[in-house]
Parts: sequence; structure tokens; C-alpha cells
Amino acid sequence: MKRNLIFTVLVLLAGTVVAQSAFTLPKYEKYRLKNGLTVYLMEQHEVPVIYLNMVFRAGAVLDGERAGLASFTAEALKYGTENYTKSEIEETVDFLGSEFYTGAVKEYAYAYTYFNKRQQADILKVFGEVVRAPSFDSEEFEKGKKRKLARMKQAKESPRGVIDAYWDKFIYGTHPYGNTAYGDQTGVQSLTVEDLRAFYAAHFSPQDAAIAVVGDFKTADMKKRLDQMFKDWKGSKAKTRNAVAPINLEFDRSRVLLVNKNDSRETRFYIGGKGVPRDHPDYVGIQVINTILGGRFTSWLNAELRINSGLSYGARSRFSTHRLTGSFNIASFTKTATTVEAIDLALKVLARLHNEGPDEKTLSSAKNYIKGGFPTDYETSGELAALLTDFFIFGFDEDYIDSFQKKVDALDRKAAQEIIRKYFPKENLQFVLVGKGEEIREQIRKYGEITEKQITAPGY
Amino acid sequence: MKRFWIVFCLIWTVAQAQTSPEDVKEFTLANGMQLLVVEDHSIPNANMYLFWRVGSRNEAPGITGLSHFFEHMMFNGAEKYGPKEFDVVMEAAGGSNNAYTSEDVTVYTDWFPASSLEVIFDLEADRIGHLAIDDQMVESERGVVLSERSTGLENSNYNKLNAQVKSAAMFAHPYSWPVIGYESDIKAWTKADLQNYFDVYYAPNNCTVIVVGDVETDAVLRLAQQYFEPIPAHDPPQPVRTVEPPQQGERRVVVYKEVSSPNLEIAYHVPNARHPDYYALELLSSILSTGNSSRLQKALIFEQSLATQLYTFAPISLDPNLFEVFLIAAPGVAAADLEAAFYVELDRIKTDGVTEKELQKVKNQKLMEFYRDVETINGKANNLGRYEVFFGDFRELFQAPERFEKVTAADIKRVANTYFSPKNRTVGTLIPEPKP
Repeated sequence: MKRNLIFTVLVLLAGTVVAQSAFTLPKYEKYRLKNGLTVYLMEQHEVPVIYLNMVFRAGAVLDGERAGLASFTAEALKYGTENYTKSEIEETVDFLGSEFYTGAVKEYAYAYTYFNKRQQADILKVFGEVVRAPSFDSEEFEKGKKRKLARMKQAKESPRGVIDAYWDKFIYGTHPYGNTAYGDQTGVQSLTVEDLRAFYAAHFSPQDAAIAVVGDFKTADMKKRLDQMFKDWKGSKAKTRNAVAPINLEFDRSRVLLVNKNDSRETRFYIGGKGVPRDHPDYVGIQVINTILGGRFTSWLNAELRINSGLSYGARSRFSTHRLTGSFNIASFTKTATTVEAIDLALKVLARLHNEGPDEKTLSSAKNYIKGGFPTDYETSGELAALLTDFFIFGFDEDYIDSFQKKVDALDRKAAQEIIRKYFPKENLQFVLVGKGEEIREQIRKYGEITEKQITAPGY
Repeated sequence: MKRFWIVFCLIWTVAQAQTSPEDVKEFTLANGMQLLVVEDHSIPNANMYLFWRVGSRNEAPGITGLSHFFEHMMFNGAEKYGPKEFDVVMEAAGGSNNAYTSEDVTVYTDWFPASSLEVIFDLEADRIGHLAIDDQMVESERGVVLSERSTGLENSNYNKLNAQVKSAAMFAHPYSWPVIGYESDIKAWTKADLQNYFDVYYAPNNCTVIVVGDVETDAVLRLAQQYFEPIPAHDPPQPVRTVEPPQQGERRVVVYKEVSSPNLEIAYHVPNARHPDYYALELLSSILSTGNSSRLQKALIFEQSLATQLYTFAPISLDPNLFEVFLIAAPGVAAADLEAAFYVELDRIKTDGVTEKELQKVKNQKLMEFYRDVETINGKANNLGRYEVFFGDFRELFQAPERFEKVTAADIKRVANTYFSPKNRTVGTLIPEPKP
């Protein structure tokens, strides 16, 4: 129903920045505990709520041969501790009206909660035990494993929920960035509770973790509480920061992954290639250009595939960034019969970006747009807490926020052309299509060498 | 989001968050358009939410989905700003927008740097006062909406099953059809249908406008008088006359799709949002499904391993609607077994009621939901609008805490017995087609 939901989401993901009136990051304090744990504290008093986001360098890039290991380990933190069973943790959290999530994405594991400030003692006690002293109850593990396997299978019934996993695997191959955060059926099937215990012991340590607390508290008081919670936490000694090998993501030919789904009524597709790492010095400029190409409702892609042709409900483009590299893709969907028409149109738009580039008016509009929406991306304490832990994981800081407007303003047409040339893929494009193979297989050969998978097969 | 907005009010009184009833300034323009303004200077941004009292309940067979289609057409050109220009102008001013259509309302949302306030008034006034329905835009927009409908069915089992369950449960009332409409109607409605819809439903007296953010109330009022007030009023739309007759017995539907395990929906007729039982039903929904410790999650997912995911929804709607329970079976579990296990849990509540601790838990959850809703300027605008439309007066929100507090464990048990009977339910299953 929402007219252009994908754009709202995109803007949030892209972390567009600063507005007309000066918008700078609210004051915060950063320090380290004696055991090496990095702490960020930011007071925000609009509502009596506190958000707490903790990250560990224990993401799916460390899965190795066992897809899903990092994610399962992080989720199983809540399966019980010395003093609480899984149910007791859940009852405590639910009763206070809080939520408490643990999990892992590619580059880090996380534990996230928010709570009413009047109940902070209860929640912090549970939170501290869960991250410092999980028991990895084996009965809960077996039940959890069954649920995970079932959900992975069910997830394939919604192509939009799994196309990212196919894309990353196709683009990054066997490099750890190709690992799907939540693993795959084969990997999860092979896991034992001992694997989770070993992974936790090896990778959860204060020197490779950070905690951000944002909300309605007094800094001095919160410092005492955190010190109490974590001072005895030793964790593992291993340093995992450089565990991922550098990667140079280059493609010497066009390739197509066709994911066959027999009952498809539409084709969902990604087209793209190499992107940039999160802390790239040109990241802001890249976001401005991407706004023009596929980052807003009037973007060239959405204008062509939706507004002018009615081929799709929406089309967009984005840069997905990691610590060491990233990828770029154009994404859309259309009914099976117009698959080639829509893809050709998307390719034409990308070519136009390279051949013509934006005129002055379009560039200026994109700059206003990206600045105008920025403050709302960092409006809530939860968003601010996530930003602070991103600083830790990806190695940037508040300069990104505070200099954003300046960087956007500084982008002229010449710089824009340079950014397009350097960072937007043009040749040897990579394609992932989820759709009805028998109706589109022959027509899409023209895009490159085809690999075909069945969506119902395990893995991505 | 829909099911949480009541909480909003609860908290305003209980917690005395920064926004209070006195912070909401209300005006009625000469043409009947209602305007609510809240100043919030926490970020240099503002928004405008326009709640139109029109949704799929105002449609009839032949024009199902027209409200939603109209939502799209409102972006496709008017007198001053032609096709595509609404978005072009707004985005160049640093703004962005969205819109949604439900069974009851169509809501347009504009977000922008506060300095662009006048641009937004200009754009909205142009399309509200002088929409131009362009033939070519109608045709290309049909394609967009067919794609939207199709991608919903492709990607969401819930969409697919719920459409059939609603249609079976709603014998007579327009809630029978999906908001997106039937494919045949999307392809067939005419420009005259659209023009008529615009004249009747997009009159200023059928709209509540909410502005929240880094603005001055006086300035907002002045702009509203300048841009919106000259737009003429229209006779109010005809009320929706049809009342759904009481259900006479259980209804069952089966839908085939290639799924790895059955999906199940069980729906019960319940009253509209203004009925006193609304509050108890809302709390009952939370008791059933919010959090891993909730009745259904604990029993069906974590203890008995019969389901992998489940949701319940208490409706907030203008007319009596359906309380929905949606369950996804674990692999190898038959739909009938999951259904039976759900009834066991429901019967426990109907027979033994809920504990005081459970009741307190869901009241605590509502409080936190409220805080999170009012933390942003968009949460404030959207919740004020919903309150005004669904409960009849935004001030009603300040009465709600009392009504929520009054809900007792006995009330929960009573509503469970009143509405959750076999006779009053419709059961849908989504399963693979049996092989011949």
C-alpha cells in the first residue's frame, strides 16, 4: 500500500546526512574500561527510555566452514545463564515492556535492548549475564536449531527476503563477505552446541566489543553501573579485528545467476558490481549521486521503470558497505513477461548516468534532498546508539555527521562526474534474477554466462 | 503500527512526557478542513500528515481498489504542478513523501526541512484544489498498481491467505475485498470513476491535516488560510450503510500455494474502535502474542514446537472488523493439529482467564510502545491523526488511560468468551495443492 516504501527504507539504510539548519551530533562521551571494553554514553532526555546497543567483532565473516555459526551463537546467548533460564529471561524482559534482541550480521554480533529508565537495574542485570556468562543450554539449542532450519526453508517463499543472500554469495563467492548472516540449512544442520560454546569463547571479548548507551540517564551514574557490570569480564584473548582477508572485487566478465522459482508471477532482479567500504572518503558524494540514480522517488531508475513505463512498483539502487569493501546494485521487479524490457531499461539508465551525468539542476535537487532528510535519520536514541557502535565497527566518527553538509555542498558537476566514473560499475555487470526459469531462461542469455539454482535447494 | 497507537494516550497522562494536550492547537478552516498543529523544535524538520476519510470501505464492486489507486493518482499532476512535478518540486526543496491507504482512510505524509513549509502547502493545495486526471498517467499507473498487487501476492503468504479469509468472513460489508482491489477492477475503472471519487471524497471538509515539527503555530495557520481555505467544501459523502450481519456458523477456506508448511489464519468478528470492548481486545491480543513469554508464542512455538511464527491483530477500524490470528506451522505439522492446539490455549483463557501479572505486563508494554511512538515528530503526527479519525476526537486520547486502566482480568475473560466462539470464526489454510 505504501507508495514508495522502498525509498524510505533506503534513506534510512544509506545514512544520508546533514540539513539546512546546522545539524551536528549531540555530545557524547567515549572511554574504555580497564579490560578494554569501549563505551559510548549519550544523554537524551525526551522520553524516559534508555537504549543500549552492544557489538562484538564476532560476525558471520568468522563462520568458516559452518554457515550460521556466528548468528546462532549470538541468538543462543539468550538461551539461559547461570541465574536465569531462557523463559525467565523472556518473562523479565516482556514484563517490563522491553525488548531484547541478540544476533549477528556479517561483521559483528550484537545485543540490543531498550527499557524504561525506572527499571534499568532489572534489565541491566539480565543483559550483563546474557553477554558475559551464557550457558548455551543444549535442550534449547536443539529446539532453536529446528526452528532456524524451518524458517530458512519458509523464507524462500518470499524472494524479496532472500535475494540479498543470493547476491552476496554470487558477488563475493567464497570470501567471508559472501557468508549469509543467518547461515544456510547445511551449515546450521551441522552445528552442535559445543561449536557455539567454542565460538563464544574465542570471539566474545571486551577488547573486541563496544557498548553504546543513549537515553534518559545521568552519565556519572551509568558509568558506575557499566563498570559494575563489566569489570570482571575477561573474555577471550584473541584479537579478531583483522580476521577477514582483504579482497579486490573485480569482475572480468558478465555473469547471471538465475534462481528458478516455478510458481513465480514476477521476476525480481539485482544488477551491479563492486562498491566501496563504509569509511570511504568519497562516501558522501557517492550517496548524492546514488540519490539521482536510484535513491529517491524521482530518481532516474524509478522514473523510467515506474513513473514513465508502469513496468514496476519501484526501482532503486544502493551501495551496501562493509569494513573492507562493498557492492553496488540496482534492484527492481516486474511481471515475468516484461523481465527483459525492464532489465534493458535499467541498463539504459545506468548508461545514461555514465554518458550524460546529472545537470546542475538535478545535482542541486539531490543535494537538497539528501541534506533535508538527514536529521530524521538520527532522531531517536535507538538510531543514535546504532550510529555510535557503527563508529566502532567501521572506523569512522562524528566527523561524518558534522561535515556532511559541507561535503554535500562542495560537490560540483566536475566532482560528480569523477565519482560516477570511479565508483559506479559500467562493464562486466553481475545479474541475479529470481523468477520463472522456463519463461525467461533463453531471453536472458544475452546478459552473460548463466548459472542456475533452484530456490528450494538448500543454500544460496 | 496500527495496533499500538492507543498506548500513546495512556502514556501521555501516566508519564507526563513532554507533549501534553495543551500542546495540540486545533483550528477549523472556513471550508471545514480541520488543522492540528504541534510545535516540536528538537530537530530542524517538520511534517504534514493529511488524513482523508476515504478507504476501501467506501468502494463497491467494479471499483474495488479505487481508493488506493487514487492515492497514486494524487501524485500524477494538477493545475500548477503537472505530471511528475509534485515529487520533483518537493524533493528539490529537501522534502520527501509517502502515502498509505487502508480500509478506512487514505493518508498522505510529507517530511521536509522546516524552512520548506510553504512549498509543501503550495504543492498540497494544488493537488487538493485542482487535480488533473491525465489519461496517459492513468494507464501507466494501472501497471504500477498491478505490479504492487502482484509483488504482494508473490512475497507474502499472509496477503494471499488473508484476502480469502476476509472475503469469506465478510458476507456483506465492503471490508470483504482487499484494499489493493481485484485485478479486473484495476484494469477496468474509468476516468469518470476517478473524477467522481475526487469530487466526493477529496473535499477539504473530509480531511484532517496535522503539522508537527520545528514550526510556529501562527505561521502554519496563516499558510493554511492562504492555501487551503479557498478550496471549496463539498456535500459530505454518503455514510457506509451496510452492516455485516452476525455470522451463523463457522466458515472455512482453503488456498493452494507451494509452501513448505501450512499457514493458518483464524479470524473472529469484533466491534469497531469506538466500542468499549476495544481496550480489552487490544490487551488480549498482546497477552496472546507479544513477546516470547506470551501465551501463544510460549505454548505453540517454544514448548510444543508446532509453529515457527505467529501474530495476532486487534483491528482499529471504523466499522466492526476481524480479530486475526495468523500461524505458520513447523515442518511436518498438519494444519489441523496446529489449529487444535490454538483452541486449547484460547479455551484456557476463556475458562481460567488471565493472571494479574499478565495484565500488568501488557499494560507495561503499552507504556513503552507509547514512548517509542512519541519519540519522533512522525510518530506524534500519525498518532494524533489516527486518534482523531478512529476515535472521533483527538482529545479522546487523554481519556484513554483511564479506560485502559479500567480493564480487568475479568474483562479479558469476558471478551474472550463473547467474541471467540466457533460460530463467529472463519478459518483459512494455505497449503500445497494435493498431487492428483
